[in-house]
Amino acid sequence: MKDISQLKEEFLKELKKAKKAEERRKICKKYIEEELSSVFCSIKNLAGEKRTKIGKEANELRRFILEQQKKEKEKRKEGEGWIDVTLPGNDPEMGTIHPLTQLQRRCVDIFSRMGFLAVEGPEMENEWYNFDALNFKEDHPVREMQDTLFVKQKNRESLPAKDKLLMRTQTSPVQVRYMEKRKPPFRIIVPGRVFRNEATDSSHEINFYQLEGLMVGENISVANFKAIINFFFQELFYDDIDFRLRPSFFPFTEPSFEVDISCSICAKKGCSVCKNTGWIEVMGAGMVHPNVLESAKVDSAKFNGFAFGVGLDRFAMIEHKIDDIRLFYGGDLRFLKQF
Amino acid sequence: MKFSYNFLQSFFKKKLPPPKELANLLMLHFFEVDGVEKVGSDFTLDIDVLPSRAGDCFSHIGIAREIAAFTGMDYKEPEVKIKEKGESIEERVSMDVRGACSRYTLRVIDDVEVASSPTYIQKRLKTCGIKPINNVVDIANYVMLETGQPLHAFDAEKLGGEKIIVRYAKKREKIVTLDEKRYELQDSILVIADELSPIGIAGIKGGIVPEVDKETKKIFLEAANFDPLTIRRGSRNLKLRTDASLRFEHGISAELTQIAINRAASMIADIAGGRVVKGLKDYYPEKEEEKTVSFDVGDVRKVLGTDVSLKEIERILRALGFRVQRNQENFSVTVPYFRTDVSIKEDIIEEIGRIYGYKNIDPCAPKKEIVPTEKDENFDIENSYKDLWKSFGFSETYNYSFINEELSIHFDRKKLIELEKPVSLEFKYLRPSLLPGLIRNLAENQKNYEKIRIFEMGSVFYSEGGEKYQKKRIAFVSSADDFYSAKGKINLFLDKFFTEQIFYVESDENTIFSKKRLAKIVFGSSNSRQEELGALGEISSKIKEEMRIKGSVVIAELDLEKIKKFRRKTKTYEQIFRFPPSTRDVAVLVPKKTPYAEVEGKIKKEGGKMLRRAFLFDVYEGKEIPEGMKNLAFRLLFQAKNKTISSFEVNKLQEKIIKSLDGVSGWKTRSNK
Repeated sequence: MKDISQLKEEFLKELKKAKKAEERRKICKKYIEEELSSVFCSIKNLAGEKRTKIGKEANELRRFILEQQKKEKEKRKEGEGWIDVTLPGNDPEMGTIHPLTQLQRRCVDIFSRMGFLAVEGPEMENEWYNFDALNFKEDHPVREMQDTLFVKQKNRESLPAKDKLLMRTQTSPVQVRYMEKRKPPFRIIVPGRVFRNEATDSSHEINFYQLEGLMVGENISVANFKAIINFFFQELFYDDIDFRLRPSFFPFTEPSFEVDISCSICAKKGCSVCKNTGWIEVMGAGMVHPNVLESAKVDSAKFNGFAFGVGLDRFAMIEHKIDDIRLFYGGDLRFLKQF
Repeated sequence: MKFSYNFLQSFFKKKLPPPKELANLLMLHFFEVDGVEKVGSDFTLDIDVLPSRAGDCFSHIGIAREIAAFTGMDYKEPEVKIKEKGESIEERVSMDVRGACSRYTLRVIDDVEVASSPTYIQKRLKTCGIKPINNVVDIANYVMLETGQPLHAFDAEKLGGEKIIVRYAKKREKIVTLDEKRYELQDSILVIADELSPIGIAGIKGGIVPEVDKETKKIFLEAANFDPLTIRRGSRNLKLRTDASLRFEHGISAELTQIAINRAASMIADIAGGRVVKGLKDYYPEKEEEKTVSFDVGDVRKVLGTDVSLKEIERILRALGFRVQRNQENFSVTVPYFRTDVSIKEDIIEEIGRIYGYKNIDPCAPKKEIVPTEKDENFDIENSYKDLWKSFGFSETYNYSFINEELSIHFDRKKLIELEKPVSLEFKYLRPSLLPGLIRNLAENQKNYEKIRIFEMGSVFYSEGGEKYQKKRIAFVSSADDFYSAKGKINLFLDKFFTEQIFYVESDENTIFSKKRLAKIVFGSSNSRQEELGALGEISSKIKEEMRIKGSVVIAELDLEKIKKFRRKTKTYEQIFRFPPSTRDVAVLVPKKTPYAEVEGKIKKEGGKMLRRAFLFDVYEGKEIPEGMKNLAFRLLFQAKNKTISSFEVNKLQEKIIKSLDGVSGWKTRSNK
């Protein structure tokens, strides 16, 4: 009878020599079915202690060979399905969300963290909310400055302002619509589509998006406004953004400002985006005119506040370096799929 | 508006900051400067004076006053001394002013010598974009640039009579203006006339007849104040905009006429050697009243959110021309006549804020009680809809809110809302549906993509029963889905977000859709109370041809507001059945045009509570199936909540179903157990 450790050595030696998987399988089979079974047959004749010892050793070897056999099997399985890992992956069938929707979501999120509620209003508005309530004086040239798209109506001239329809030129009418139904304090933002009747080109569209903000309460100040928009700009541009207020004029705010942000593209050094000024005009704002509060039935002696409006298209253009506003409204998947 | 740097400098003894620096300061404290340009030894500052300040700042003095306020430099307005000589003006001219003119001031100057004006005047005019003509005309223009008050000089000897009349034009009355253009006037246009005919279009342009030329010796000098709206309408009507009309249409103070006419008269006397006739003709029936505004320092702090010292407040307001009275922290300020824009304390606070400098106000977070806001559900809901469609492979698009004539033919004319004078006919109507835009997107994208799935959420507009409506909708088009896969997506979408049960009903009402392949989607418990939610179908072949669309395209549009109205707010857990189910297959032969829903309804009715699902796994027509018939194969799943159902029970139910199906004439079952 062969010595078990010798048997193991022989097995390993043979296994090592074998080049093909097929041969190795045969060797394993041979050792289990022939060599080891003859060992097991012969130990029957051995006496007590020795029989136990050799039996144990033989069993260990058997397990060892079985393991080798298993390994061989696994190797075979893996080898069968070779794949080229460098082939391109398949595109998942996933749609995209419009970049302006994505931007609106981010703005709403930033402001909601400061307790601002997102509200909506009608795109087809009437003259009272779009002009009169916002302190646009009848026949003031500003009313014509806005290139308004009016809805064709029979005997329009004889209708009251609340029945004269137009496409809203700004999201500000929603301020009045919201305030007149509720009691202060208010903190709202209004994302939405607005309209101007002007020829379209790479930076002008007949419809575009604004985000309106309004905060009204007791003792709301310019300093508060600066704090709120500072947070907004820092969050929106993931960057250290400098901003400044310049005097301006809007009928619905007093004082009124334009807000410029520092040009992030050239770091205030001057480039084509900021027209070499280092600043980009992004927002119109101001302290809500008492007449607007009064049109919305808010006591202007007790409450005041600020309002602002930004063009979202422009923000998205700055962020993604888009050079033509019309891409937003063209439905071209080569554009949309990038976002 | 263009301003001359040298002209502005002339009001200051000290040197102004260099032009670029001055422009920057103007931008931070006043209004934007669109450009600084060197013109000879002068600079043009193109200042974007907004309409609110047109009243005082369409003038160099107005801008100089601003500069004085924010730089702290002293400025001085020119002194005016007039030496009057000779007879009284009353003997020389009479006036008759009717309508739309709040003040009309006239001076007579004799013995003028018309020649070229001094170089400094010519240069400043040129810097501001005005062509020099002769000393008299140039001085009138110069004083307009200086004070903001337009002036006009007539050659008195060319007039028909000694009477100046301000009146509305007669219908079809004609005038030839100084630039030799002929205008036919309407009776809404104000003119200056002599006893014979119009000699100028009031506030807009002078007529050629009394033109001041080299021979002119005697002049009538006019400074008037006209109604802004009349001038604006007249100017628009004649398509004639001038430096004068621009100022009048924004509104200037009537107080200005006298100041400007005296300044101009004194300059004409000095420069053109004229002799100013004694007196001033002045039609001024209602003198402008002075306005006073009261406020206290607390008001300033409240609005600006910072402390501006009492001294600084006083300094700023005085520099801007306000008369200030202060009692402790209470101010009472008199608004100068030229500040037509200031009437309430917020206006005053703006003056303080901008001159003080907004950059000097430190940001400060609002200190308020936390009042929880409502939840902005609407926005969240719409976003979740969009995200679901995105996960179905659809890309979101934005289209114009308008359609053109060509696309409008697919809609009921009476329902379309038309716009007044849109810039392009592409935008003639408000869109009554989101589909035209999406279909156009699809057609264009077919140049680059084979599988196209796009959707849009937005407002549509229509008129009905005299009312005009706008409604939010969601719509999609797909060249990558067939009717049934699209239907599956809509069902999943609605199951997730909508509580009502929906039905698909054959329809042929809409011309955008193919007549044979259109389903109206309705909801509601009984037929009589069913409401329409939208439509799903294939695109009509006519539109396909028109827009050169390839392959079959499914389109759908749903009423977003109804989906939101019956929206699923929460989902109730449906218990998972623990007892094993049994399945049985049933196939039934029915006439080809029998709707599936009918067969399914029958099975479900007979199957009762134990029938958990009837799953259609095959629809077959063709070989082995009789002509005109189709075979519907169902797998029925029976299961009970509280027990294992015996095969005896299942068989009984199956038999019941089969019997009922066979009971319909023309239907025949084939089953296996």
